[in-house]
Amino acid sequence: MNQIHDPQLLKGVLSPLLLWLLAERESYGYELVQRLRQIGLTGIADGTVYPALARLEREGRVSTRLVASRSGPARKYYRPTDDGYAALTESTGNWLSLTEIVSPVLARPVPPQPAPPAEEN
Amino acid sequence: MDRPTHTELRLADRLRIERAVWTLNAHLDNLPNRAKRARRRETRANLYAAAAEVGAAEAIRGLGDLRRLAAEYRTAEYGETGPQPSYSGAVVGLLLVQVAASAFMQGGTHAFVAGLLAAAPDATGTFQWSGIPYLTAPVTVTAVDGTQRTAGGAFTSLFYLLWLAAFVLGGRLWRLLPTWRRWRAGDAAAPAPGV
Repeated sequence: MNQIHDPQLLKGVLSPLLLWLLAERESYGYELVQRLRQIGLTGIADGTVYPALARLEREGRVSTRLVASRSGPARKYYRPTDDGYAALTESTGNWLSLTEIVSPVLARPVPPQPAPPAEEN
Repeated sequence: MDRPTHTELRLADRLRIERAVWTLNAHLDNLPNRAKRARRRETRANLYAAAAEVGAAEAIRGLGDLRRLAAEYRTAEYGETGPQPSYSGAVVGLLLVQVAASAFMQGGTHAFVAGLLAAAPDATGTFQWSGIPYLTAPVTVTAVDGTQRTAGGAFTSLFYLLWLAAFVLGGRLWRLLPTWRRWRAGDAAAPAPGV
């Protein structure tokens, strides 16, 4: 699967992706990094995901709880709040409607050279 | 294969993780203590989990530049466009208040002397302007045959106490502004101001 290399593009979809993964299963920070890599974002850095989680928490879109761990300090698990679910629904709709417009255009073969302006025809 | 547990991580790896956690903490110096503590705990737990998978060195590398990570956390805390705390800004603010207060006192002293000269150009004697009650010492003007000498007008301890208190208080209060704005905008999930 292709990697997303453009950090700006990734930044735009990271929040809904995180909310979706958390809606599927409560997770802590590093576990979410692993899950993102499993779905194909193999190049995603831990340092990109943790601040995104902090932002979601600050915006009240996820709630957290500490769970004791056998393999280290207690882990902070995240799950979406009602606001998080609402944000996820909204951004999913936005994303799908955007890709519906953009994908058919970008899927076409790139023209070898631009056509002359309409006025010259 | 079982993952290594907390106690199974080598001492050197635990020290590396602690160094990374506290380096990040140092770059988070402008965050409220509550947020800094939370970031330290979470970063440590994530690093332990990652170290069990890929080793401590790779886990720390995965965080990227710690200064940049701290900046991302600050943005997460205060928003993209919200004001962010700045110690250098606070120092400049403190100095500006001091300069403004000194200029005000100097202006007041000049006005007092000008008034004195207007009333009696050849005044001789000692005259006193009380200055700002409680905040400055009185200004004494000694006039002899049309020449004047001024003394006093220094700021009191109370002034400096209030000066510092205002900045400490202001420095804490403005941190509530982003939360306050969200609360006013009707974001029900945002904690109420004062939390």
